[in-house]
Amino acid sequence: MKRRDFLKTSVVAGAALSLNFDGLQAALTSDTTAVEAVPDLVAVMGGEPEAMLDKALEALGGIEKYIKKGQKVVIKPNIGWDRTPELAGNTNPLLVKALVKRCLSAGASKVTVFDHTCDDWQKCYKSSGIEAAVKEAGGIVLPGNDEKYYKTITVPGGLKIKEARIHEALLDADAWINVPILKNHGGAKLSCAMKNLMGIVWDRRVFHSNDLQQCIADLCTWQKKPVLNIVDAYRMMHQNGPQGRSAADVATIKSLLASSDIVAIDTAALGLFNQVKKLDMAAVGHIGKGESLKIGSTDLSKLNIKRIKI
Amino acid sequence: MKQTGKKQVNHLKRLRVLLAILLFVPVLLYFVDFTGALPQGVHALLHFQIVPAVLSGAAGIIVLQFIFAFVFGRIYCSVICPAGIFQDIINRLFCIRKKKSRGVRRFSYHKPQNILRYVLLGLTVASLISGFTSLIVWLDPYSNFGRIATNLFRPVVMWGNNIFADLLMRIENYALYHVTIHTVTWAGLIAGIIILLVFIVLTIFRGRLFCNTLCPVGALLSLVSRYSFFRMTFNTETCNHCGNCERSCKAEAIDSKSMKVDTSRCVDCFNCTSSCTRNSIRYRWAPFFVKERVAKEEVAASAPAPGIAKPSSGSRRSFFATSAAIAASLPVVSAIAPSDDVPEGENTAADDQPAPVTPPGSVNLERFKDKCTACHLCVVRCPTQVLRPAGFQFGFDYLLRPYCAFKSSYCNYECTVCGEVCPVHAIQGLTKEEKRTTQVGIATFHIHRCIVYTEGTDCGACSEHCPTQAVHMIPYEGTLTIPQVEPELCIGCGGCESICPVNPHRAIIVVANKEHQQVSPPEEEEVKEIEIDSFGF
Repeated sequence: MKRRDFLKTSVVAGAALSLNFDGLQAALTSDTTAVEAVPDLVAVMGGEPEAMLDKALEALGGIEKYIKKGQKVVIKPNIGWDRTPELAGNTNPLLVKALVKRCLSAGASKVTVFDHTCDDWQKCYKSSGIEAAVKEAGGIVLPGNDEKYYKTITVPGGLKIKEARIHEALLDADAWINVPILKNHGGAKLSCAMKNLMGIVWDRRVFHSNDLQQCIADLCTWQKKPVLNIVDAYRMMHQNGPQGRSAADVATIKSLLASSDIVAIDTAALGLFNQVKKLDMAAVGHIGKGESLKIGSTDLSKLNIKRIKI
Repeated sequence: MKQTGKKQVNHLKRLRVLLAILLFVPVLLYFVDFTGALPQGVHALLHFQIVPAVLSGAAGIIVLQFIFAFVFGRIYCSVICPAGIFQDIINRLFCIRKKKSRGVRRFSYHKPQNILRYVLLGLTVASLISGFTSLIVWLDPYSNFGRIATNLFRPVVMWGNNIFADLLMRIENYALYHVTIHTVTWAGLIAGIIILLVFIVLTIFRGRLFCNTLCPVGALLSLVSRYSFFRMTFNTETCNHCGNCERSCKAEAIDSKSMKVDTSRCVDCFNCTSSCTRNSIRYRWAPFFVKERVAKEEVAASAPAPGIAKPSSGSRRSFFATSAAIAASLPVVSAIAPSDDVPEGENTAADDQPAPVTPPGSVNLERFKDKCTACHLCVVRCPTQVLRPAGFQFGFDYLLRPYCAFKSSYCNYECTVCGEVCPVHAIQGLTKEEKRTTQVGIATFHIHRCIVYTEGTDCGACSEHCPTQAVHMIPYEGTLTIPQVEPELCIGCGGCESICPVNPHRAIIVVANKEHQQVSPPEEEEVKEIEIDSFGF
């Protein structure tokens, strides 16, 4: 092999790496010959939030694959309600904390966290434990309480909505990670990754009055997609969602899902939900509508899923 | 040279200013603080206000204030009343860079407007006894100050904050955050502007004229302060009638020619002492009985015992009678509110007028109307900004009172702030448990406006926001679900109404309970251990 050819090959290989040839990279970094394809979706069960996150990230090829050095990163948990972590109305603060740390150690220049809350934002940020968790981890907590923070963007792929007003932190970000909690939802039936995007927009009334399920799917066509969706199912509110009334609404199922495919992860989350409460896919209209809009796939059988039990 | 040499440091004035600042600054900050940074306990300062004390039946505080005024004069008006201090600030600002003759010494002696002030006082007391607070709403100095602070100062502070927050955000500092101002209504704004203008104009042209004509608290205290033990007195030997004291008297109560001070109007600001180069007007122990040789029994006349006094003039007699009547009526006034817990719901003919949803702890509409003086403290402290000053939409007698504006906000399930801070206890303090079961209204569902019915699509925003799940979703067509209300679980918090996407009339609306009810708390469900061992996909 000529040196020139060798160089060419390496350049191509390098390019291939940056194109997310995950399996190859995994193989190269782990220095093993058996090339294991990087999964489309990872499901972890039986650990604490931080441990499960690490297992999932490891299986996906490391956080560095998603978060590059110097990037401005936004993490978008669900902080919608003035509820303590035990009541599972909001994303687990331990998960958010661990994720902020991982992003920072991957070299993110700053990590910001916000949500457009339903209850008073300061109460939500505080009661959820997320504000404290993010600050401890070295991240920044941003308010999402005022119209001022939201800028209009277009959603050309949407059927019902063609534009939305999105929090400027996301517009400025180089990458963002969607970190919902899995729960029952009175309106959308299931609240998970796709539904969590309603917390990045200002006027949700428009969504509710224009076919909620379609609008959720429409918003997910926004071109700036999360680099990763991580579903917190450590505690899961299986009834009276999304706010919940008491601990009786919560099942501790100690699970976590991670995937870049927002439709697939919601499909999988629905499967997990069905382990506790029966819920028909057809009722959760936005998942199917998401697939129709070609945001992702509901056909889990065609995906490479890695299941890890701790 | 000799004048400046003689001039002494006016310790009393300094003390007065210091005390005024110590009270005024926390009170002002408490009204404009939109972040909740100040400790909740600051409201304790407001319980010393006389009108709130009278209305809440805080007899101890009233007695204390009377004794204080009897001994020291109307110091209350200079160091406790925020409206009084506020007028002093206006005066001070007005005097900046002005010649003394146009500034600090621009006043002149005027006769007291006794008929006006005591008629107003009498009317106020009479209306309070008959359970009608509309007059006190307009005359109470504390409530007027509260409205200025709430409807004018606070929005300005919030706008200022927003400008700074935006600037800081540009340099990636998020110490401040943008806030939306929901609490300003036209009624509140106009009321604030009117009273601010009244204060400014009266202060500039006539000093403390408000306090000595319109203010029922000033009139009430004047009945006692005219006999105060400590008072401003002339040294008739050394006074040369230069008139400096008279011209510096905001209360226009000093007649330098006859060397008399009208202690009923003097607010003990001690500016006259500062103005006098000969030290001829001083605050000293000078009980009226010493000078005027009135029988000793008269000291006791300040107690509610009419007829004992042997006044030297007809007008004095009437003052004693008034003061006695007022003192005697105080317990009546404070006793009124709890006694009228049976609302006259039937004979309030104005049933076409919507009833306002009153704050939890206000017990019933009639009681609330009788007690609330519209100081708007609850409006500023409400974390969800759901409480707003009413206009005429609930009738003239509810004007400026706070109501729950559920169209764009709601009452937080766990929050009990309004009842904690209300200085007149028009809103009674509730525990969290009581709050969660106090039904201020009931959500009523109008299916023909509901998105699920009109559009055939999912919504459920109302149920999402319902903390008790009194509004819950039941099966409708196909996979659709539609809201249903369990009135016996609903506490009327307005969560559903505030989020309902239907315009202009919401599909779910809280109808006020004129009489608040108790509901049973949501049933405690058993916590079941749920374990799963497979992912389900």
